[in-house]
Amino acid sequence: MGRFWFLLVGGLVLLVMLLSPWAVPLREFDGTGYLLNPLGAINPKGLSLPEGLAFNWLGVAFGFWVLLVLAAGGALFLPNAETRARVLYILGGLGLAIFAVEAILFYQAIHAANEAAVAAGARRPPLRRFALSLGVYAGFFYALGLLLLARMQLPGGLAFLVRFRGVVVPIVSLLLAVVLGAMVVAILRPGLGTQGVEGLGLRELIAGKLDLVTYTFQILFSPILNLTGIFTSLGFATPLIFTGLAVAFGFRAGMFNIGAPGQLTMGAIFAMLAGVYLPFPSWLLLPSAILAAALGGALWGGLVGWLKARFGANEVINTIMMNYIAASVLLFLIAANEYRFFGQTVRLPFKAEGFEGRSEEIQEGARIPLMIHILAPDSTFSWALPLAVLAGLGVYYGLRRLELGRRLLFALGALVLGFVVGGFLPGFPVTISSALASQLLNGSFLIAVMALLFYNFYLFRTSAGYELRATGLAPKAAEYAGVNLRQKMVLAMLISGALAGLAATHYVLGAGMDGTYRLKTAIPSSVGFDGIAVALMGQNTPLGIFLSATLFGVLLAGGVSLNAQLGISNQIIQVLQALIILFIAVGGLLPRYFTDPLRAAQVETEAKAEQEARQARSAPAAGD
Amino acid sequence: MEIVIALFFSTLRQAAPLLLTALGGLFSERSGVVNIALEGMILFGAAAAAITVNRIEVATGGLEAFWIPWVGLLVGALVGGLVGLVHAVASIKYRADQIVSGTAINIAALGAPSIVLQVLYNNTSTSQEVQNRLPNVDLGPSSVSILVIFAFLLVPVVWWVLFKTPWGLRLRAVGEHPEAAETMGVNVIRMRYTAVILSGVLAGIAGAYLSIGFLNQFIRAMSAGAGFIALAALIFGKWHPFGVLGATLLFGFAQALAIQLQGGDILPATIVQALPFILTMLVLAGFIGRSRPPAAVGKPYDK
Repeated sequence: MGRFWFLLVGGLVLLVMLLSPWAVPLREFDGTGYLLNPLGAINPKGLSLPEGLAFNWLGVAFGFWVLLVLAAGGALFLPNAETRARVLYILGGLGLAIFAVEAILFYQAIHAANEAAVAAGARRPPLRRFALSLGVYAGFFYALGLLLLARMQLPGGLAFLVRFRGVVVPIVSLLLAVVLGAMVVAILRPGLGTQGVEGLGLRELIAGKLDLVTYTFQILFSPILNLTGIFTSLGFATPLIFTGLAVAFGFRAGMFNIGAPGQLTMGAIFAMLAGVYLPFPSWLLLPSAILAAALGGALWGGLVGWLKARFGANEVINTIMMNYIAASVLLFLIAANEYRFFGQTVRLPFKAEGFEGRSEEIQEGARIPLMIHILAPDSTFSWALPLAVLAGLGVYYGLRRLELGRRLLFALGALVLGFVVGGFLPGFPVTISSALASQLLNGSFLIAVMALLFYNFYLFRTSAGYELRATGLAPKAAEYAGVNLRQKMVLAMLISGALAGLAATHYVLGAGMDGTYRLKTAIPSSVGFDGIAVALMGQNTPLGIFLSATLFGVLLAGGVSLNAQLGISNQIIQVLQALIILFIAVGGLLPRYFTDPLRAAQVETEAKAEQEARQARSAPAAGD
Repeated sequence: MEIVIALFFSTLRQAAPLLLTALGGLFSERSGVVNIALEGMILFGAAAAAITVNRIEVATGGLEAFWIPWVGLLVGALVGGLVGLVHAVASIKYRADQIVSGTAINIAALGAPSIVLQVLYNNTSTSQEVQNRLPNVDLGPSSVSILVIFAFLLVPVVWWVLFKTPWGLRLRAVGEHPEAAETMGVNVIRMRYTAVILSGVLAGIAGAYLSIGFLNQFIRAMSAGAGFIALAALIFGKWHPFGVLGATLLFGFAQALAIQLQGGDILPATIVQALPFILTMLVLAGFIGRSRPPAAVGKPYDK
């Protein structure tokens, strides 16, 4: 990458700063805002700020950024790489400092104005929706870019990036998807606050569009800002963890499982049948209902694995066909009671009374409680779960010396002990807001975490998992080493399907769909497809899957308010997912040494050799 | 007798989009690129065609003219081709996993039309109904859309192009042994680009047939698996135009039968709807004949 590209980026950043809103101190519910900009505020709808609120520092800050960009551009022409890196590090740090000062100044001014207004007798603070905006963010990302560029100047800089390609590729893909998604939004919707206003200049129109785009993503990411939002997000993330694990498990074993929607549906049907009809006592009922969900998914996935192993039938098309068939089975069971078979009337008992297609209610004993009830039953914080998790993890990581099986056993014991002891410890009362109490995040989230642990343990700590991964990486080599490929195909699809089926525990047993403990025809089976994005984004690693599922959970939760506030369909999240999948598939448009392991290894060895040569050269000099 | 005739014409109507899509997929797969994105290309084409026709009608105040649906068809085909280009760039230039890239397009095809529909019609699932549909051709007892005729006429044309022209020979060579073809002076990359874009255009036409020929509006996910069934027809038809014709007629017949049986008291509709998919799986498992794909299919080409 040439220096001139970098200069171009610097110019672009300054241009964005000139055109975009830097911060929005005041915003209406429909999105119309008062946009601050160094060239003067942009305010087409004529909103008025409270008396005495002024942001005179914007011009000064912009001046600093111009100097910074110029200095960074000049620094790249320094002859010595180490000086270059040092100067760029300093400039990047300075940029971050300017960003921090901007943020502090802005939020302080807002709070001061609000407090003044309340002291003067206002019933509510006048400024309720306010945030930094694109102009300030642009500086922040430019400063981060400078730090990265500084690292790139030092020896082994490229190898450094390549070594972290498992993180670099998803992040670059996410950024590209966000930019493209922003363009889609900007094309389709009018700029905020510019609709229906006559005689606007180009500057207002551009700022309005940029504000629209920024605000869209601010809303999408807003759920992370409060506890209720985090609960909502994790509720959306729970099924995504399951389906992401399902798809990733298939990938690891060299199978592309696009059948998670069908496997989820089958799991839901089995869970419903067990949860409604099994005449078990409650201690046995819940585990069997959960197992039934896994079993339903495993059957649906395993069948495809068997078809591939036995007949060589392509699993991609077969899993898709199984999705449609599962949807038909679901409708058949709970959309109607009466059917005509060859002139005979057949009655099915599964559909409950009423217009909607839904099953009977799950028995009390088979219901998974809400997370809020697990954490704080009867509005009293309980130590049971936190202590159990702490004890389990502590023992697992404390007993590293022990052989793995015993270590697990002890950890499990500590977990149970922690749960029991924590249950007896006196908790403390907490107040739960009604918004938080209505969140549908339930105990299924804990099952999802256990599924993550299982995935990690099975694939990376057992020989069976090792064989499975070997099958995925190099089937012929694995077969030569004695792995039974056909058996592994069936096994991989069985487990993958079971993981997808477990997602049904969230919807059916945990009432994660709409708060009712029933199976409904409207069960959102398409989260099975979302699992593909989760698996790719998480690079098939357990931590990655958890993080990317949470990210998509946040976006889905934000999509609800986006629809309510700006009238943009929450389908935008599906498009973002599709774009992320596409960009990861093309390796984030990055050079091939980021995607091709062989070339990556080449880059890393070259860097290592270079470093050793450098040390060899400097060693005699030090010895003198 | 009446029911047999109805079933016959219904089969033609159901088979036509499958046939168009499968013939497109034939080019793509014969050139060595797996195209699982056919489903999404149909949807993009269908949405583009219906929305174009509706916008023209709105702009002209409800004009009814013979050219309007043809413009819709053209836009549908172009958009299909564009989506094909995306798949081609991803899988040829950037050597992406072709199934992953195709899946991305299929997921986008579920979401992207909804965003446009929301802006234009304030709902996320259907477009407004159009007045100007593609013309029907009278065939005695019943009539079918002109695209149905086009689809069936296309079969011998594709056969001739693939097996009787130098271009077809090169295309097949590229899909079987790209290195050998390159040595003989064939531009592998360009052949693959052309083939994938062509498959997008044909899938886009199939989509336009669904939205402004068979029906009169776009409905979210209206292709209902047609792209995947077309892929299965490709395998079942042994990657040969006449084989594909037979396979799509079989699948079309299954779908027509499903429609005929609906509302009757022989089998419940929900079960009947699953029949084409079950049939597809039986076909893929090789219960009804075996087939061999082009040797280089799914493999990125590296010079």
